[in-house]
Amino acid sequence: MTVSEPGTAVGTATGTGAGNIDGQAIAITVFSTVKWWGKHWLPLLFTTLRLIPPLTRDLRKLSFIHFARWTLIRELPANGDTAPRTRLRYPHLFFESNFNDGWEEYIDAFSYVLTRGMSLFWASSYGFPGALPTGPFKDYIHRNELEAAHYYSAYPEATATMVRKALALAPAVADFAERAVRLSPAEFEGAWSAFLTDAQDLL
Amino acid sequence: MRARRAQASPVTVLTPIVPGERDALESYLTGLSDAPGGSPLARVPGTHFARWVILPDLVTDPKQPAPDPLGSPHLLFTSNVDGSADDYLAAVADTLTAEAPEIWGRCVGCPRPATGAGLARYLRHNAIGTGLFFAAYPRATVQAVTAALDVHDRLVRLLVDTQPAGPAAIRAAFLKEFRP
Repeated sequence: MTVSEPGTAVGTATGTGAGNIDGQAIAITVFSTVKWWGKHWLPLLFTTLRLIPPLTRDLRKLSFIHFARWTLIRELPANGDTAPRTRLRYPHLFFESNFNDGWEEYIDAFSYVLTRGMSLFWASSYGFPGALPTGPFKDYIHRNELEAAHYYSAYPEATATMVRKALALAPAVADFAERAVRLSPAEFEGAWSAFLTDAQDLL
Repeated sequence: MRARRAQASPVTVLTPIVPGERDALESYLTGLSDAPGGSPLARVPGTHFARWVILPDLVTDPKQPAPDPLGSPHLLFTSNVDGSADDYLAAVADTLTAEAPEIWGRCVGCPRPATGAGLARYLRHNAIGTGLFFAAYPRATVQAVTAALDVHDRLVRLLVDTQPAGPAAIRAAFLKEFRP
């Protein structure tokens, strides 16, 4: 079995402004103006996807995403006389994601894996050119993206895959440790080999 | 709209910036990355990923019939957190006592001082519900993630260090590291 030193970076955060990067983690923050029918369509889409989680299966294929969200903003809260409650002229779609590796690769994967899903989310936004080809879509995202003034990750050197594997590995190590204290060195050898075989995909 | 129920929750707060304060706020926020001790968000329990973004105005696409001006720049704060958004915003208000006056203290309607229960109320008032939230590991807390990554790193290190060793030495090293 080949193992690498702990903490070794798997990928490199690239393709975006420095404010959007913390270690391996990249922030993307995108606003788009929504057509009139999106104010009905998007809440229906969000509700459907929340109620039927298998519909987000394609999203889960994108193993480099930690967290993502879509929000439809239709009005802004009031904050006194200088900022009264504002009903926006159009609804606005706010999208954010926290992922690892490169910005270009992220958009490419989003476009190719979620081609239909991208249209479901953004077809109601003005100017959306379609997910494919990726060139015009990347230009669209660039035009609508904002760079973070400050971005923070609690585990900046860990990719989403590393986190998922570690969360599966930790209880396996604890279970094996429980057993190992009762094993003789001879018994341990076989059990250790079996443990590593089972855990090798998590290392 | 309600976010999907899970251990992890999304937090989104959008606040108008006091006219004339945008540059100072942006300068303060960009400087946080170089602050001694790192990001202040590391002190707020339950923060997985978070960001502050200056929103100068809403996007006007060339194809939309008319612009939709915000009126003034806004500050967007988002976080991906353990537990409820309300509890998290209370923790933000209680923890960032030095930073919050420099941040939300530059926003319209923020109470003075910009700390404690008053700030928590202000942040909740300006919170925006999430339509759809995706979390790759929705039931893992920050503490669980960092502990699991630590176990991974210690096990890999043990494997590297004991590669030429026999079973007795490996067992001793493993139990020294991971004995329950």
